[in-house]
Amino acid sequence: MRIWSRIRSWMRAVARRSRMEREMDAELRFHIEAFAEDLVRSGVPRGEAQRRARIEFGSFERAKEECRKAHGANFIDSLVQDLRFGLRMLRKSPGFTVVAVLTLALGIGANTAIFSLLNAVVLRLLPVPDPQQLVQFTYTGIGDWNSYFDYPQLERLRMQAGMLSGIFGGVGVNQVNVVWRGSAGLAQCDAYTDNFFSVLGVAPQQGRLFAPGDDHEGADIVVLSDRYWRSRFAADPAIVGQTILIDQLPFTVVGITPPKFSIYVGGARDLWVPLHALDRLTPDPNRWQAPFTSWLLIAGRLRPGVSLEQAQAELDMIHRRLLAQQLLEVEQPGQRMRQFVSASHLVLHPAANGMFSGLRHTYALPLELLMGVASIMLLISCVNVANLMLARASYRRPEIALRMALGSGRTRVIRQLLTESLLVAGAGGVLGLAIAWWGGAVLVRMISTGDSPVPLDVRPDWPVFGFTAAVSLAGGILFGLVPAIRGTRVDPGSALKQGAHGITGPSRFLDRVLVAVQVTLSLVLVTGAGMFLRTLKNLQGVDVGYERDNILMFSVDAKLAGYPKERAAALYRTILDKAAVLPGIQSASVSIVRPVDDQYYLVDIIGQVDGRTLPEAERVKVAWNAMSPGYFPTVGTPILMGRDFDLRDSRAASGVVIVNESLAHRVLPGQNPIGHRLDGAEIIGVVKDSLYGGAREQPRPVLYRSLFQGQGGTDPGEWVGMGAVSFELRYRSGAGLVDEVREAVASVDRNVPIFHVKTLRAQTEDSFLREHLLATISGFFGGLALLLACLGLYGLMAYAVARRTAEVGIRMALGARRRGIIWLIVRETMWLVLAGAAAGIPLTVWLSRYAKALLFGIGSADPAVFATSVATLIGVAVLAGFLPAKRAMKVDPMVALRYE
Amino acid sequence: MDKQLDLLQGTLDMLILKAVSLGPLHGYGILLRIQQISKDRLEIQQGSLYPALYRLEHQGWITSEWGESENKRKAKYYRLAAGKRKLQTEAEKWNRMADVIAGILQSTPEEV
Repeated sequence: MRIWSRIRSWMRAVARRSRMEREMDAELRFHIEAFAEDLVRSGVPRGEAQRRARIEFGSFERAKEECRKAHGANFIDSLVQDLRFGLRMLRKSPGFTVVAVLTLALGIGANTAIFSLLNAVVLRLLPVPDPQQLVQFTYTGIGDWNSYFDYPQLERLRMQAGMLSGIFGGVGVNQVNVVWRGSAGLAQCDAYTDNFFSVLGVAPQQGRLFAPGDDHEGADIVVLSDRYWRSRFAADPAIVGQTILIDQLPFTVVGITPPKFSIYVGGARDLWVPLHALDRLTPDPNRWQAPFTSWLLIAGRLRPGVSLEQAQAELDMIHRRLLAQQLLEVEQPGQRMRQFVSASHLVLHPAANGMFSGLRHTYALPLELLMGVASIMLLISCVNVANLMLARASYRRPEIALRMALGSGRTRVIRQLLTESLLVAGAGGVLGLAIAWWGGAVLVRMISTGDSPVPLDVRPDWPVFGFTAAVSLAGGILFGLVPAIRGTRVDPGSALKQGAHGITGPSRFLDRVLVAVQVTLSLVLVTGAGMFLRTLKNLQGVDVGYERDNILMFSVDAKLAGYPKERAAALYRTILDKAAVLPGIQSASVSIVRPVDDQYYLVDIIGQVDGRTLPEAERVKVAWNAMSPGYFPTVGTPILMGRDFDLRDSRAASGVVIVNESLAHRVLPGQNPIGHRLDGAEIIGVVKDSLYGGAREQPRPVLYRSLFQGQGGTDPGEWVGMGAVSFELRYRSGAGLVDEVREAVASVDRNVPIFHVKTLRAQTEDSFLREHLLATISGFFGGLALLLACLGLYGLMAYAVARRTAEVGIRMALGARRRGIIWLIVRETMWLVLAGAAAGIPLTVWLSRYAKALLFGIGSADPAVFATSVATLIGVAVLAGFLPAKRAMKVDPMVALRYE
Repeated sequence: MDKQLDLLQGTLDMLILKAVSLGPLHGYGILLRIQQISKDRLEIQQGSLYPALYRLEHQGWITSEWGESENKRKAKYYRLAAGKRKLQTEAEKWNRMADVIAGILQSTPEEV
């Protein structure tokens, strides 16, 4: 009953507010009048009676306010009231509102954009049931680890593991050529065991997915991704049951995955075939038996209630038992293999957000770092708006004083001021979301190297919305609370008296602190930006050992057009011959690994020099590549000694190799390496060191083999059939070259697709993508931070000058010189900047530890970068202080003295 | 200072309940009634009377309706609703408290 009456009165209060207000007014008025009547009756004159009745009653508005509060209508009521009032106040000062909202929108937008990318790359869970049960298998080795297993391991683990409800394995087939109704197109294909979809818990959108028994030799079914189905087959459901050609082999489409299905971040697959379809696509008789190979990814799903540690213990036992058994089967195992078997342990990694992803590996740390940068940016925005609010609060002192004099409680006024802040924050949040929407797409383009953008979905989802809302709310409270508390610390009497002057207020200490904080945070951002810019510059300045300009590269894979290994070399030779005679081409070559390759690299071990077998410890691990004659002149790597490959080499029985300086120095120190033999092959040349894998590497031993050497009769196309090859063309004029190349390749065989068409310069720039991203975004934020710091300083100084007009007038009247006056103002700005910088330097040094792994050619506390940043800030401060100082200089002493 | 206000507030609630328990009254009437019963020994802040009335109504102890005053004017009249029991318990609490306080104040050195 009592609860009910409460609700009723509350509902009445909310629903019939205006009537309640009227009634309340009438009731209180009746009281005062009745009281006055009584006084009149007792002989007091009417006018006097009314006055006394009012005084005795006390504050009419306050009584009403407390009645409202007592009625429980107050909260919603006053919220609506506050919102209305807040909107009105914000409308009244559009300049402030626009600046505050924009500042916040930039801060919130930057945070949201980077968060949405972080969310897409690192945080988002796989779109499958109970993703937290998923684990990916890895194993440790001697000081390293690996996520690629051999097939016997997968078989054994699947057979014996009891803690998991399912274990699947698979591998990327990488690029395949899909022919449908006569037209070819490239696609990304994976091969997985037939329990892949069922363990993940994915249901088909059309048709069916893999079923038990699908994974057998000669498997010829394929599942399409939703994306590929839409882009290639126009979402035609009739495709299910039809046959398509993958690398010229027939496969039947059995079903389509649901939208968004993926198990890697940033690596969307188009097709899935059963694992044993590899026997048709890339035959390798040893694949299913060979121990100690690494080619197969394994993942699984924990049974409910089983912890990762429990499962890991069980799986590790199986893993180690099999390793020991495999070791027994190897004839004469080496020392390292024994060491590996005794050291290796199986380790599970949570895979709720997907399997290992190169994209995540590359960008997790930079994104986390940028998230930090963006948070600092947001903090600066908040401080800036707080400063604006403080300034506004001092302008509003008379208004606030009046409201408090009329009986508003202090908390009530604070709440009202906070509502205003939250309105600003809310508007900033909405605008920020729009900025993030656009910025997220820009960021994705920034980290995309390939022929199409990285498939990342950065459209805001619920986590992103939640994040933005939380950030806006936190921001609103952060910048609103302090000014609100301070703004309401007024003595109504004195504030009202001073009101006419508008700009008088309590000490500006807090404002100064805020501006100094802004300077501190700006220094962090500017220094960070400086470090990343230097890193990028350093990387770009590295001599990679290639001449980057005027080289066009493109890749071709004979397998995609259905060529068997044996015929691949001939195809590449024909294409090379055609390309070399294109107009404007100086020289042309073909190689397995292209300069600064981002796809893969090859390693080998040299165990024999001049017929002498090296002891295990002295064996040389080399990176290697195979290429046609003309490669070195084309990419601009000088041949220091000996000669280039020659097509005549192909007839040599034993083979010839070229080494780089590092390798020559390593295996034959102090000797002329020409004529010596490595693993039986004769060294015919020595080339200058180039950085095989890009600018971040140190020079390392590299062995170069002749791509066409095998055709003399030794082992035709041994390296040629491994995958795609890359052609390099040195050109004089690049105009229209890409089209000419396409035509030339098509004239050889219309079914041979070319891909990864890129200049060497672009390829090199792409290898700095991460650094580029860091430098660009931190540079952008650094600039923004400087701008805001400049605005903050300017605002503070302009205010200070206005406040000190009289003082300046007196000084000038007493004969102070103009330079002295300017110095007076600029000095104050200087102090603020120096105080801010003094706090900022240690903070930056402390924070820069996190960036260390991402820097190149520069320490995390580089004095030059710090000096530049501080100098920049001082420059900005002088700029910000100068305008107000100039205004102070123009003060007319007579006017100034009359001012107050 | 706060404690005193709390005490006064509770007391005011009780006095209002007592006043309206004797018959429906408008706000000003309640003020007069309390002054009358207390023989003018109790001063009530006029402004604080109404919030107390609104609170008691919100809590359901009293109800209100508009009626006509003695001099033919519209006024809001309050009457006791569920407040009878509340008044009783409040009064008992108050008496107990008063007894305790009186006992303490009357105690002599010998008793301690």
